[in-house]
Amino acid sequence: MRSQGRAEVPAHRVILANWLFSMKSLTKSSFFVLVTVLQPLIFSTIAFFMFKSGGRPGSLLYAALGAGLMGIWSSTLFGSGGLIQWERFQGTLELLIASPSQFMWILVGSTLATSTLGLYSVAGTLLWGAVAFDIPLELAHPALFVLALPATVIGLGTLGLVLASTFVLYRHANALSNLLEYPVWLVTGLLVPVSLLPGWAAPLGWILSPTWGIKAIRYSALGGNPVPALLATVGLSVAYLVIGTRFIAYFERRAREDATLALT
Amino acid sequence: MTAGTAVLGAPRSSSLTSFFRVLFVGGIIVYRALFNWIRPAIYIPTMLGSPLFQILFFANLGKYSGVGDTNFFVVGNAVQVCSMSAIYGATMTLANERYFGTLAQLLATPANRAALFLGRTLPVIANGLLVSVFGFIVGALFLDFSMPASQIPALALVVTLTVVSCTGFGMMLGSIGIRARDVFFASNLAYFLMLLMCGVNIPIDSLPGWMQAISKALPLTHGIAAARLLASGETLGSVAGLIRTELLIGATYGFLAFALFRYFEASSRKYASLDRF
Amino acid sequence: MPVVGAPVVEAIDLRRTYKTSTGSLKRKSLEVEAVRGVSFAIEKGELFGLLGPNGAGKTTTIKMLITLLIPTSGTARVLGLDVVKDARAVRSQIGYVFGGDRGLYERLSGLDNLRYFAELYGVEPHEQKRRIGELLEMVGLTGREKERVEGYSKGMRQRLHIARGLLHDPPVVFLDEPTIGVDPVGAREMRAMIASLTDQGKTVLLTTHYMFEADALCDRIAVIARGEVVAQGTPGALKSLVADKTVVEIEVYGVNDESIERLRRVEGVSAVSVEERDQLQLLMVQSAVGAEITPALLAQFDGAKIGRVVAREPTLEDAYISLVEGDS
Repeated sequence: MRSQGRAEVPAHRVILANWLFSMKSLTKSSFFVLVTVLQPLIFSTIAFFMFKSGGRPGSLLYAALGAGLMGIWSSTLFGSGGLIQWERFQGTLELLIASPSQFMWILVGSTLATSTLGLYSVAGTLLWGAVAFDIPLELAHPALFVLALPATVIGLGTLGLVLASTFVLYRHANALSNLLEYPVWLVTGLLVPVSLLPGWAAPLGWILSPTWGIKAIRYSALGGNPVPALLATVGLSVAYLVIGTRFIAYFERRAREDATLALT
Repeated sequence: MTAGTAVLGAPRSSSLTSFFRVLFVGGIIVYRALFNWIRPAIYIPTMLGSPLFQILFFANLGKYSGVGDTNFFVVGNAVQVCSMSAIYGATMTLANERYFGTLAQLLATPANRAALFLGRTLPVIANGLLVSVFGFIVGALFLDFSMPASQIPALALVVTLTVVSCTGFGMMLGSIGIRARDVFFASNLAYFLMLLMCGVNIPIDSLPGWMQAISKALPLTHGIAAARLLASGETLGSVAGLIRTELLIGATYGFLAFALFRYFEASSRKYASLDRF
Repeated sequence: MPVVGAPVVEAIDLRRTYKTSTGSLKRKSLEVEAVRGVSFAIEKGELFGLLGPNGAGKTTTIKMLITLLIPTSGTARVLGLDVVKDARAVRSQIGYVFGGDRGLYERLSGLDNLRYFAELYGVEPHEQKRRIGELLEMVGLTGREKERVEGYSKGMRQRLHIARGLLHDPPVVFLDEPTIGVDPVGAREMRAMIASLTDQGKTVLLTTHYMFEADALCDRIAVIARGEVVAQGTPGALKSLVADKTVVEIEVYGVNDESIERLRRVEGVSAVSVEERDQLQLLMVQSAVGAEITPALLAQFDGAKIGRVVAREPTLEDAYISLVEGDS
């Protein structure tokens, strides 16, 4: 007698199942509605008013896209940062590890879900901008824009994977998430050019995918060549994926071998 | 008869001391137990780190958008970050009672409710003040914030009163949290809306009329305006009107908070809704 | 590949130590031996009980068998597959259910929870619907599956757990204290459900610290104490370990530790256990002597008020107490 399950569940199936499941689960959380919908609307409104009353020349679309991406970062940060702790708190972590699906693919699906939900922020800020501030959505390279969005989502989702796996070592992951929201908005130039910041901020931004994601999105919307930034986003995603899965394999080993990282 | 008087007298005097014991000692213990961000590993990133970067973020955004000088953003945000404690802290000290399931035990005690309630606000206010002071220091160290040293006492007074008023608002959310299920949603939202509407980052007169109307009924708005005037050298007397309005708003919310607390206490006994989730 | 006739679950001299550290300034490294050489074998279709007090090493043992912990030494095989080397293959062949109300996604429905785990276990999409329907029927949750789990009672959660553990129709099922915290009626239903698993040809390992549960359900029992198996056999065989003994139950109002120590030293006494009741303690004294030991026992209480005194035949619980207390 054999079980009906499979000894090795294919990675794409695990990722897809977790992506869908996590999105469903997260949208039932009011905190997530706040982070992905309300907070970006409020921040974009602040930016619109500041740009208008400061007489900042240039497009309000610049601000709308930046605020949208700020939302993707918040969504990824709060969704992925405490992911493993949350599963542990619920008592589901050991069930996930005890399943024949590879834990790293489970996490890839879940962290991608957190950045995907950030698309609500982009849609929300663009729509809000159009309705309340008459910001037209005129895209310089529509096809590249459509390509840049999912690339950015993957870039942030895989960064979320790195967060999920490293935050395990920090007991209060939510506090760390609270800390990292504004600084990443700053050093990745989502709303303010990094050139206004001290010199050391820019190199920090280079290794973070939102820097390249926002460039790819802005150039494809407002004009310019988005292709190099698009490639950088994809390149970083691959790097994050390699680093993140290594960390997770390490976490799993420590948990099973020395029981130093508790599963429950 | 003397014995009788003594017996009657004893509870009287001890009820006064117990009022203060409940007020101070009780308040602080409860704060430590309920306000689960008190641990350094949580306090430093949340209460100090997050405000630090918030101030840097908006000051730079201000510089880029050309809204105002750095002082505008440092004062606005340094006063507003007190709500890290005054909103979240106050909400937690009350709402977490329910979350931890200790509310029933609390309401079973004979402790004076006003003392119980006010006691909880003291550490929240102290912490809010600390976060604001830290905000001003950040501004001075990283953003070339400057103001006449002679104005510091007056500014300190105004900031303290604004923190008190903001705590009144936070306690109202906390009282609602005794009954409502997801009050942290409301406290998060309140925190963000303050950034938008209370003149923290956007001059009030650039806001549409309906937002201006709301901002006048919120705590912080008048306090921040007063603080900005003081930082630019105005006298305490010239901002007296603003301070009075700020305090009146805070007191109104504080009174509402206590009334709600008592109401929920009474109705929870009637309808057994205490531990209902 | 499983060999015909070979045990389905096999533990050979399993050991597990934990490293912990104590002290805040001078951190001392401590090694705690949670499981100290546990061996047993479970045959196909058997319902095997692992019985022991809290902290005896039951959960550590089960976690090694389900691949969540790697043994410090020793080996274990499930269906002939090594739990360390073939971990993933083992995982697909076993179901794991633990007691308590954690381990579920609260905000989602019972159905969502089941669908998700069906995916994680690689149950084919066309199979999922039928299988989930069957299981909901079996655990009596049909009609409630679309409600959010946060509204479920303890019993419903536990039944959902069982359904979740059986989604991929595993030939081997591990149940770690599945009835904990469930009300008596719910626990009885749960036991009926567990008993039906072996009817379906499954092999079951059950841990519990309820004696009557082990007695009612298990074909064989291993009693585990302080990380070691102290006895193994059918419930009947375990009972026969104490068959020649008598149990004297004494109700005492306020007994002190000294009296209990003195009781243990009375000649012929093999084990003493204390159960706290409302205002009194119920002492259960096992001895090989018979009821005539009673006066000698009663002489050991200095003035404490004594209630009912009864001598009776030993039960499985007494066997368990004598085993767990025996060589302490």
